[in-house]
Amino acid sequence: MDKNSDQLLSNALRNNRIGEPDKAVEERLMYAFLLKNSKDRVRQNSFSSFAGWLFSGQSFALKTVMVSMVFFFSIFNSQFTFDSGKISAGDSISSQRVLVADSAHYIQLVDSIKKDTLY
Amino acid sequence: MQQVVSGDQAAFSELYLRYKGRMYYYFYRMLGNSADTANDFLQELFMKLIEKPESYNPAYSFSTWLYSVANNMCKNEYRKRGIRQEYQEAEALEPQIDYLSDTTIEHGQVVEKIFATLDSLGEEHRSAFLLRYREGFSIKEVAEILELPEGTVKSRLFYAKKQLAEKLEYLKDQIEF
Repeated sequence: MDKNSDQLLSNALRNNRIGEPDKAVEERLMYAFLLKNSKDRVRQNSFSSFAGWLFSGQSFALKTVMVSMVFFFSIFNSQFTFDSGKISAGDSISSQRVLVADSAHYIQLVDSIKKDTLY
Repeated sequence: MQQVVSGDQAAFSELYLRYKGRMYYYFYRMLGNSADTANDFLQELFMKLIEKPESYNPAYSFSTWLYSVANNMCKNEYRKRGIRQEYQEAEALEPQIDYLSDTTIEHGQVVEKIFATLDSLGEEHRSAFLLRYREGFSIKEVAEILELPEGTVKSRLFYAKKQLAEKLEYLKDQIEF
């Protein structure tokens, strides 16, 4: 293409003025930018980043060790062991007292029976 | 741009001030010379930048990328409006104006008449023409922005200039091909 004609058209278009964009557009954009960044900052401080790390593939060894330790303690903690000699919940209507074999207690019971026979 | 991504408001403000006039002009000329539409599109363009700054590919120059986004917005708008059809209909109804037979015509009027001619050609010619002659992009950059081969850009520019020369008697002696 001819350079003169290109220059002619370029000059004609570059010198053309149509006015400025509305100032309100700039204000709205600045506000939107501020809002977006404040939201991002809140998100950074929230639990989501920790949850993201927790469920990601990062630090897999560390997570395995932590899960193993929790598992280990949950098995061997006495709070979770089941004692067959105790009733965990009492109900006055349906529960029966479970007698635990105890030689001292047994002798005491026998003595009381003997007393009854005297009457 | 990296500063914008990291939330630097001053950087965003600087970016806006640098490009607002150019983008406003582009939208104004591409979308029917309407100031309201140009303002709306300018806002939408920078909102895209705020909401998804990561969509910018640093491998490309920022201005090329920005014009590429703006051009896609215009394309979508044309699709919505079916504006090309409107222009063709308008042209069919418009009486043939004796463009620029008057040699004392002013500069502002020349540009308006250039755009009146480009409007009748369609958005693909107008966008190539604006990017090349108003924004000063090279053929290669225009091709990148419009996602077209360089040859297609050249032929569109050639056709646009030819049409201008035919319609604008005033430019006939000055535009050579």
